Order: sequence, then structure tokens, then C-alpha cells
Amino acid sequence: MKTLLLLLILFPLGGAAINGVLGRHLPRRVVEIIACTALLCSLSMAATAIIKIGGESFNFVLFEWFRAGDLSVSMSIHFDALAAIMALMVTFVASIIHLYSVAFMRDDPDFVRYFCYLNLFTFSMLVIALADSLIFVYLGWEGVGFCSYALIGFWYGDPVKATAGKKAFIMTRLGDIGFGVAVALLFTWFGTFSITHINPQAATLSAGSATLLTLLILFAAMGKSAQLPLTTWLPDAMAGPTPVSALIHAATMVTAGVYLLMRLFPVIQQSPQGMLVIACVGAVTAFYASLAALAQRDIKRVLAYSTMSQVGYMILAVGAGDIVGGMFHLLSHAFFKALLFLGAGCVIQALSDEHDIFKMGNLHKYLPGVFWLMLVGALCLSAFPTLGGYFSKDRILLSTFIHPGASYKLFWALGMSAAFLTALYTFRMFFIAFPNRPDGRRSSEVKPIPRFMTLILIPLALFALADGLLNLPFGMGKRWLGHFLASVPGAVVDMNATTGMFLGMAILSASLSLLGIILAWFLYGRPKTVKEPNPHPVLSSAFYLDAAYRLLVVRPYQWAATLLWKKIDEKQLDQNLESFGVSFNAASVVMRLWTTGRLSTYLKAFLVGLVGFLALFVGRVTLW
Amino acid sequence: MNTFPMLSAIVFLPLLGALFILILPDRPESGRRTSLAVTLVDLALVVLLLFSNSGTPSGQWLRVEDYAWIPALGIRYTLSLDGLSLMLLLLTTFLGVLSTLISWNQIKEKTRSYYFFLLLTLTGILGVFVATDLFLFYFFWEIQIIPMFFLVGIWGHEARRRTTIKFIIFTMTGSLFMLIALIGLYTVHGRQTGIYTFALSPLMETSLTLDIQGWLYAAFMLAFAIKIPMVPLHTWLPDTHTQAPTAGSVILAGLLLKTGVYGVFRFAAPLFPLAFRTSMPLLMVLGLAALFYASWIALSQTDIKRLIAYSSIGHMGLVVLGLAAFNSITLSGSLLQVINHGVSTSALFILVGILNERIDSREFKDFGGLWKQMPVFSAFFLFFSMASLGLPGLNNFVGEILILIGTYRAHPVFSAIGFAGLLFGVIYVLRMVQDALFGELRGAVSLLRDVNARETLILGTLALGVLFLGLYPRPVLHLFDGPIRLLMETVS
Repeated sequence: MKTLLLLLILFPLGGAAINGVLGRHLPRRVVEIIACTALLCSLSMAATAIIKIGGESFNFVLFEWFRAGDLSVSMSIHFDALAAIMALMVTFVASIIHLYSVAFMRDDPDFVRYFCYLNLFTFSMLVIALADSLIFVYLGWEGVGFCSYALIGFWYGDPVKATAGKKAFIMTRLGDIGFGVAVALLFTWFGTFSITHINPQAATLSAGSATLLTLLILFAAMGKSAQLPLTTWLPDAMAGPTPVSALIHAATMVTAGVYLLMRLFPVIQQSPQGMLVIACVGAVTAFYASLAALAQRDIKRVLAYSTMSQVGYMILAVGAGDIVGGMFHLLSHAFFKALLFLGAGCVIQALSDEHDIFKMGNLHKYLPGVFWLMLVGALCLSAFPTLGGYFSKDRILLSTFIHPGASYKLFWALGMSAAFLTALYTFRMFFIAFPNRPDGRRSSEVKPIPRFMTLILIPLALFALADGLLNLPFGMGKRWLGHFLASVPGAVVDMNATTGMFLGMAILSASLSLLGIILAWFLYGRPKTVKEPNPHPVLSSAFYLDAAYRLLVVRPYQWAATLLWKKIDEKQLDQNLESFGVSFNAASVVMRLWTTGRLSTYLKAFLVGLVGFLALFVGRVTLW
Repeated sequence: MNTFPMLSAIVFLPLLGALFILILPDRPESGRRTSLAVTLVDLALVVLLLFSNSGTPSGQWLRVEDYAWIPALGIRYTLSLDGLSLMLLLLTTFLGVLSTLISWNQIKEKTRSYYFFLLLTLTGILGVFVATDLFLFYFFWEIQIIPMFFLVGIWGHEARRRTTIKFIIFTMTGSLFMLIALIGLYTVHGRQTGIYTFALSPLMETSLTLDIQGWLYAAFMLAFAIKIPMVPLHTWLPDTHTQAPTAGSVILAGLLLKTGVYGVFRFAAPLFPLAFRTSMPLLMVLGLAALFYASWIALSQTDIKRLIAYSSIGHMGLVVLGLAAFNSITLSGSLLQVINHGVSTSALFILVGILNERIDSREFKDFGGLWKQMPVFSAFFLFFSMASLGLPGLNNFVGEILILIGTYRAHPVFSAIGFAGLLFGVIYVLRMVQDALFGELRGAVSLLRDVNARETLILGTLALGVLFLGLYPRPVLHLFDGPIRLLMETVS
């Protein structure tokens, strides 16, 4: 098992290292083969590992990283059911995206850098999934952050894109302050960084300490998972190549925050107040982001806000104490959102880098393959009854509803409204961009794209359609995922709800989803000329949050930097010290005579001094 | 081995090399080749020392060389080596080699005297790191400064004269106070015991009233605080860095600043433990203040060398925080960070130097879009920038996390503020990367040569160092264990 897991994380690292060092001298095809093979090998390791795990968990130390005093940090692995599922999902989606990228990046001269970062990203993400020591988790955590930064700004020639990368890095690092302090706290209390040692001791935490810890970890998760109020980097992150958006900013990295909360769930469980805050953040973000998604014109920004909103559901699940539901939705979301992004990537490339949905149309005619794939993705995202996203979202809403506390009813209502809005914005996007309409694109405006780009999406689409089977509330293989995750601390397999509640919730959320789709049809669906929309400045700017940050944080920060420099450092400190120095200098006329002489003078003086010193020294030594 | 004065050999080999250069004909090759040979041999000697001392030492020192020098005044020539000194010798000789290599084609005038001064500085710095007779320490402390004065003053950039005088006045002021305090301590000790000596260990036994201890400590600390440099005594550093030639910046950031930290660790704290303990809260506040203040100012710099200089001040602030938080974790972190900063900041200065050779500017407005023309250079630049902002897996992370987690134990608020301070570091580093590498090419830049073999060798070696320190810092930390334990016993 140890070798297996080691290979699982080392394959992508090896791919990145080889391509990073030698890639410039290798032909394109070789670089692509190295990158993709690394991932496929890793995928097969993950698949073998999940078969072999069988309800157990494995802990082992790779090697001791550093030690000082009584602090010791190891690179150690904690492989349990949760990690196994996560690793399999990451390697599967990443493999598909690597293969897709080969076609997507076919004309980009910078493919070496691209595949190198992509491999490195997968490695870091696997470290997050498997690591036991929180410091080792942090290595992955920052690793994905760096790759995200580098890939958002991949086309660095455009300052807007480079800035978007910078913004993502800084905002997620803001959240990491919470991570750092939480780790320091845990170490001070428990003397260890190991998740497997911390979790069993979590019950000894006082309520106050548990709440503090929970809030700190939540803050870290907010940054990484783009939850309110640290949301604004995610829409900008769409500047990166579309496969990157699919992998990093939809399927994997943005769910790392949720995953961290699940890994440390026993700690979080100790704090009902903390969980309330978590649920609140999740529910409000889910609702907020689905409103913002309603008014976007850029297809990738619709999907970005949608990701934010869906991750909000996962956070809500953790807040409602249902990590099985959260993980279930994390998986479904990974499949259908990756599918949607990759489909959008096909569209964007076929339409010569067009992102505006209002300038699309007629894609049913010219890109039929992509049309059907996107329809699958859109149905799953809208939680169309019996498809992937339906069961997982339904479960989260039910957990929230039955969770004790009046506030949770409010969160449930927010979640329900967001579910309706999700169907609405998804099919707004779909109906505007895809069906045939008189003012849509003409065939001359649609460039052919490699068939491979659509073919490779079929497995993803099948998974997205069928992944409800993982945890069906009834029938054969009932709650397979729940039983699989049963050994994970804090996991609840069967919910404490009556059959009536189950049915009620199922019917309610199914009808909301259908209602949303039908409304979208009436508003945008009938084949006609689509009017340019009235701008919804509040919604499309996501309630001016970004502008507010710029006005209240970024500008004052830059302004203060210049002020500190010019007015304090140069005007006050430096001049005062210098005037002191000048008077000192004026007083020592002798020294001045020396320091303005010629080079030869200095050298002579030096030699005299040195010879004197050496003579003295040698003399003494011999005498002694 | 035991009879051969290895430490003296290491310390004085550069001096011999320097003197040898003076008798050679004045051609560029003679200077740089001698310098390279000497620094390489010196590095080899230190590596030899490293492996011959693999066992755990029983006493404080791994190796001592002790001779009478001026017996009338109780001045001895004592060089002692412990784990900390050993690592610093390694860093010094390593950066000595790189400084020679990076100056290879950069220095075109008066090459002979240039390498003379370069090697002379190295002798001074090496001496500082092993001298344990206070007078000898002071001697080396001065030796290291004066050649720097010339390196900046002669081979520096446009405003070198003014800057170098500023540099010398700042540092000399500090060392003057230290000299007075040193003689004061000597006198007090002599009066008490009848034995007049400058040797470190007997002087540590001197019983001082808190009053006197405070004053002497303050005088020592002034010298060290200027060197580290601590806010608000830092203003000489950005100027000096900006004007210094590349190797000057490397030595300044990589080594000279470290002598300040080393001085606190080796002399100020153990000689005046009570005063040191009293000053800890103040030091912590000053350290954190430096982290925020310098990182904040760094963002608004238009000159890339000034930006890195301010980043140094911020990083050293964190080191001071670790020194003052004073437990085995933070001290390990601080000492490790001294080495880390020496490696990664030197790398950044070398990168800027390489850039400066191609584009005759240090201003951000003349850079931009470099990745297109210099991909290998840019990859290195990004790598060392990430090391500088503390990406895990690279060197600075380990030091930073040790300092902050260790600080949390006794001072959770300071630690939390420190974690927040790291974010300030991220902001200016990303700004530097973006303005240098990304965007479109600016200025009249048409065709830039990517790094050549020599430059790749320098950067590659440094990159390996960064990875090693980031992934396997245990041997280094292990070397620090002994010195840290002893200091903690002395101070508490």
C-alpha cells in the first residue's frame, strides 16, 4: 500500500520535474506523452488503492521533514475512505483534462510550461487529499495556490490576466492566515500536526477553543473555496485557459477548502456555534452567487459563479454536519462542472475566443456533439430529477432542514431558493448560447475543432449522469457512498428523517428544478432573436463587492505604501539620521581627509595595518 | 588534523589570495581566476570541516584555536567553531564563490583591486563568525566593513560616493559604541577578578548590575541592530544595496546582515542575559514592525534593487521576532532563516545583476514581458521569488513556520500578527514578478540574451540549495541544536 500511495503522488511530480528540466529540449509530442502518462499511471494507482482499502485506513510516514526542539514535522500520509475517493476523483478528472488539453493547447507555443504546471498542480492536490501532517497539507495547499496563480496568468502578455492570477494568490493567502494560526494553535494544544492524532483528541477541546479553531479553518477554506466574503478572485480566475478553469477552479482546488473541513470534522463538530457560522457562509454564498450568475454574459463567468454557489452547498453540508452529503455533492459537482467547462472550452475555441453567450447561438446546428454534452452538464447542474446533481443536492437540503435550530430553516430556505435560481441561470445560459436562432452564428463563423475534444468528454458525461447511483436513497446499492465513508470520523450514513420528509424534499427540489428550467424556457428559450439584455449592474457586478474591495482595501493599501515610503521613511527617518551623520562627518575632518584620497593611499594604509597585525601575531605565536 | 590550524587557514586564505592578487600583473583574468581558486579551496576546506565534525560535540565547541596575541592587554587570538559558525562559514565561502562568478564579466575596471577587496571582506566576515575573543571579534568586525566601503564606492552605480559614506558612518557609529562597551566590560571584569581578558567565556561570568548591563547591552545592540538592520536604523540599507555592484549586494544581504544576528546570538545575549531578557518584548515589537513596515514600503518601490532591499529588512524583522521569542523552536527558525535568507536573497540580487548587465536599468518601467525573451532566466526569477514569499517546499517556509509556530506558545497575538505579515510579503513579491516578467516588453528592449552557462550554473546551484533547505533542513537544524541549548541555559 505504501509503495502504491507513494507512486500515486510521485507520478505527477515526476512528470512535472522531467518536463520542467528537460521539456524545452523535447519534441511536443514527448512532453504531452510524459504529462499524460504520469497522470494515467497515477489514476491506475488511485483505482487500485481504492479497491484495496476495504474500510481500513493507512497511516505512514514518508520521512521526517524538519525538527526543532519538541516540534517535529513529517511528510506523512493518512489514507482513509475520504482520501481514497478524493484521490480517485482528482486523478480521474485530471487525466481527462490533461488529455483534453493536448488538443486544446495544440497551437500554443508554451505547452511545456503548461503541462509542467498542470502536473505540479495534480501532485499538490493529491498531497492535500492524502497528507496526514497539517504542515504537509499546507505544502499541497500552497502548491495548488501557486499553480492556480501561474495558470490563471498563463497568458502573461495580457496584464489583465497576470493581475487576475496575482489577485487569486493574494486573496487565497489572506485565508491562509487562518490556516497558519489554526496550525499553531493545534500544535500548542496537542503537540502534533497529525490529523490522525488531533481528531481523537478533539473531544477534549473546550467549546470556546473549538469555535476559535473552527472559525480559523473556515477562514482558510473561504479563501481557497471562494466563499463570502473572499469570493472576488474566482470570476477573475477565468482568465486562465479553460481546461485550467475546469480542473482547478471547478473540480478540484476550490473544493480543497471543503475537503479540509471534512478532514478535521471531529474538531469542528465540537463547536455548534462554529458549525452555524459554516452553514451560514455556505448558504449565503450559494444564494448570493446564483443571483450573480443570473446576470453574467461571459459563459465562463456564469460557470464561475455557479461553482461558487455549488461549493456553497458543500460548505452548507459540513455546517449541517453531513459530510457524506458534502462529499457526494463534491463528486457530482466535479464531474458535471468539469464537463460544462470543457464543453464551454470547445465552444470558445470554435467561435474564435468568443465568451459572450449573447454572441453565440446556432450551436445545435454547428456543434451538435458539444450541444448534447452541454445539455447533460446543464441538466446535472440544475439538479434535474434522477440525474447526478439531484440526489446530492437533495441530501444536503434535507440535512439542513432536519438539523436542529431555527437558523438552519433559514439556511434551508436560502438553499432552496438557490436551487431554483441554479436551474434558471443554467438554462438561461444554455438557451441563449446553444439552440438555433435567427441571429446566431453562421457556419462560416464556426471553426472546426478536433473531434477528440468532444469524444474525451463522453466518460465525464456518463459519470455526471450516473453518479447519483453512488448514493441512491433507495434500491440496489443503497447509500453505497455513505457506507463506504462510514469509517470516516463524523460521517452519518443514514439521516434521521422520516420517509415523508424524504419524499417531500425530493418532490419539492425536483419541482423547483423543473420550474427553473421552464421559466428559463419562457424567458430565453423560444427560438427568436435574443435581445441584448438590460444591464443589471447590481447583479452582474455581484453586488459591487469587487469594487468595494478596490476602493476600501487595495487603493488605501497602495496609497499608504507610497506615503510610508516618501513621507515617513525618506522624509522623517532617513533625513534625521542623515543630518546626524552629516554633523558627525563635519566634526571628523581627519577622517574626511582619509576618505577622499586616492586608491593607492587606501591600499598603502591598508597594507601597513595588515602587515603590522600579522607581524604582531606571528611574533606572539612564535614567542608563545 | 587536530594540529593543523584549520580555522585560521579558512579565515586567512582569502587574505593570502588578496595579497597574491596584488603582485600579479593587472589583467582581468588574474584577479578573477585567483579569486575563484581561493574561494573554491576555502569552500572545500569548510566542507571538509563539515564532514570531519559529523559526531555530536561533547563541549560547546567543535574546534578551538587559541594563541596569546597581546598578553599585556589580555588579548588572545581565539577562534572557536560550533554548529552555527560552521553553517555560517559554509554560507560565506559558498557565496564567496558565487560573488566571484557573478563579477566575472561585470567588473571591467580596476579588476585587480576589486578582487582584492572582495577577498578581504570575506576574511573579515569569516573571522567574525569564529572569533571568540572580543577584541579579535571587533577587529574582524571592522575589517569586513572597510573593503565593502570601497566595493560600493568604486564599483557601485551612479550615486555611489554619497551612499558609501552613509554606509560607513552608520556602521562605524554602531561599532564605535560597541568598542566602548567592550572596553567597559573588560575593565569591569578586570577590576572584579584581577584578570584582564577579552575572552568570551570568562566575560560571561562577570557579575554586572542591571544598570551597567543595560548600558553595555544597549551599546552592543546598537551595533548589531544597525547591521541587521532593525527599523528605524535601516535607512542605509536600501541606498547601499541600490548602489552596490551585484557581488556587493550579495555579500551585504547574504553575509553582512547576518553578522548582526550572529552578534546578538553569540555576544549580546549571553554576555548580558538579564538585559537581553528585559528587552525581548521590545525586540519582538520592533521585529514585527519591521516585517510590516518594510514589506509595505517594498510594494511602492520603482527600483527593483530597493524593493529587494526592503524585503530583506522585512525578513530580518521576522528573524528578530524569532530571536526574541526565545524558545528552542523559534531560535532554530531564526538561525535557519539566516541561512535561508542568505541563499534566496542573494539569488534575487544575482538575478537583478544579470538583468542589469543586459538592460542598463534597475527601474521596473524598463522591464516587463521578460518571459518572452528570457524564459530560463524568468523561470529562475519566479522560483526564487516563490522561495522568498515562503512557498512550502522551498527554503524560507521552514524558517518562517518555525518562528511563527514557536512564537505562538508564549505570544499568540504576536504570532498571529506575524502570520498576517506574511501576506504583506506576498503582495510585493507578486508585484515584482508581474512588473518584471509579465505583460508586454517595454522600453527600447529588442533582443535580450537568456542566461549563459556560467549564469545557469550559479542560479542552478542556488536553486538546489533552496530545494535542499526547503525539503531536508534537518542536518542544518541539527547543527544548531547544541548552540541553541547552550544559549538557552545561559540566558535562563
